[in-house]
Amino acid sequence: MVDPLVASASIVELKNLRAGYGEIQVLWGIDLAVRKGEITALIGSNGAGKTTLMRALSGLIPIQSGAYLCEGYDLSKASAAAILSRGIVHVPEGRRLFGAMSIEDNLLMGAYSRHISSSELKRDLDRVYTTFPKLFERRNQASATLSGGEQQMCAIGRGLMSAPKLLMVDELSLGLSPLLVEQLVAALRTLNAEGMSILLVEQDVITALDLCHTAFVMDMGRIVRSGSGQDLLADPIIGEAYLGVLK
Amino acid sequence: MLAAQILINALVLGCLYACIAIGFSLVWGVLNVINLIHGSFIVLGAYLAWGLYQSLHISPWYSLAVAAPLFFVFGYVIQRLILNRVITAPVLVTLTLTFGLDLILNNAMIYYFKADYRKLTLTPPMGSVSIFDVVVPVDRLIATVAALALTFVLYLILRRLRVGRAIVAVRLDRDAAILMGVKVNSIYAIAFGLGAALAGCAGVLMALIFPISPLTSTAYLGKAFVVCVLGGLGSVSGALAGGILLALIEGVGSAMIGPAHATTLSFVLLIVFLILRPQGLLGRKGFE
Repeated sequence: MVDPLVASASIVELKNLRAGYGEIQVLWGIDLAVRKGEITALIGSNGAGKTTLMRALSGLIPIQSGAYLCEGYDLSKASAAAILSRGIVHVPEGRRLFGAMSIEDNLLMGAYSRHISSSELKRDLDRVYTTFPKLFERRNQASATLSGGEQQMCAIGRGLMSAPKLLMVDELSLGLSPLLVEQLVAALRTLNAEGMSILLVEQDVITALDLCHTAFVMDMGRIVRSGSGQDLLADPIIGEAYLGVLK
Repeated sequence: MLAAQILINALVLGCLYACIAIGFSLVWGVLNVINLIHGSFIVLGAYLAWGLYQSLHISPWYSLAVAAPLFFVFGYVIQRLILNRVITAPVLVTLTLTFGLDLILNNAMIYYFKADYRKLTLTPPMGSVSIFDVVVPVDRLIATVAALALTFVLYLILRRLRVGRAIVAVRLDRDAAILMGVKVNSIYAIAFGLGAALAGCAGVLMALIFPISPLTSTAYLGKAFVVCVLGGLGSVSGALAGGILLALIEGVGSAMIGPAHATTLSFVLLIVFLILRPQGLLGRKGFE
């Protein structure tokens, strides 16, 4: 499904990637490329394997077979820390903030693996606070006390503190009001305009296809369709399966 | 005046109990390991202080500086080489393993030091201070201050240092911490090392107050367990509250129904807490 002409400009490339949990195979040979500087969306119904793919890409679960290439490096056997050091950053489903810690401590945890001076750290913190001013107002508050939208901002901010080249966001909009989703989408657009590649896993298919350059559709642990967001929006099969459009 | 004396005794002893419990609580909270070697670490720390004082006349106050790094390395190595192999196994496996390690360490101490009770007696003695008829031995008072200081140092490590934040992060959400690039096995070893260092230091302080024998290790372990349940796992303030509460109960209990039953009282309270308030007084997720 991957267009071989564009594969060279990709930041991450997967070939026939398989992974799962112990005996249970979830991903049955994923072929996918995330192009540099693009927003790539991964859509699909519940249980399609999207989150499992994210977990495999960030090293939380082992890759059983297949290739996982990032700018020429093979990451299929790499540890989570090694993957992170290549600039692949995973904002997990459900935000997974350190609830008892303050927002600022959460953000500092994002920069944990980077060995940078305190002035650089300060500069990066300021950048996150500029992107999400709400976080600055509440920086000393325990992150568990935040609203869902603020938690998502904090989770993305924590991801940004890891200095991502590729930011993988799992379920950006889950449980958030449309207004908040709009704000977060705007933030992602800005980050993308500044050159950051983004891989977005999203249940809200319209939001995802509208935002992305390229999209992949996953079903039963396989990529079943791919194309530009606009093409897929117009695709009658996608419309029927995910958008509730009747024939 | 008796009431005031009981209260002061409880405060003094409570801080020491907190110091005994805090390393145990840290390891339990972060690694989910009920570390049964903890009591023997404390006794070994007491022997270290006793040995250094007997042979080189090094005051226990200075022995603290020896015990902390020594026990940290000891704990770090045990975690790295032994416990990390089974750290993801169910809690019963790690419990059994630490039980076995404790048997080895405790029997080694019985072999080398014998089971005789020994006492570290400072010469000249430091005497005692009395304010309005409330008498507190000076060495006990200094030990209390030292115990509080150790507790505060742990608090600072967890709150202010990068490695401390990582320890808390692993405790709160292991997977999320891995996504931040935290190497969990190394954090486990550091946390276990810190727990051992605190136990060793607590042992040095205990040597000033209680008789030393390998047989006392279970008593220390029991205290640590009760303090954790009373105060709640997962906070420095919880350990302090639990320690002082336990000491108060023991103090009031001894005065009212005799010292023989004081320990019974504290374990009855343990059961009551386990039934009515299993999270403890100040228990919460997160070690702060």
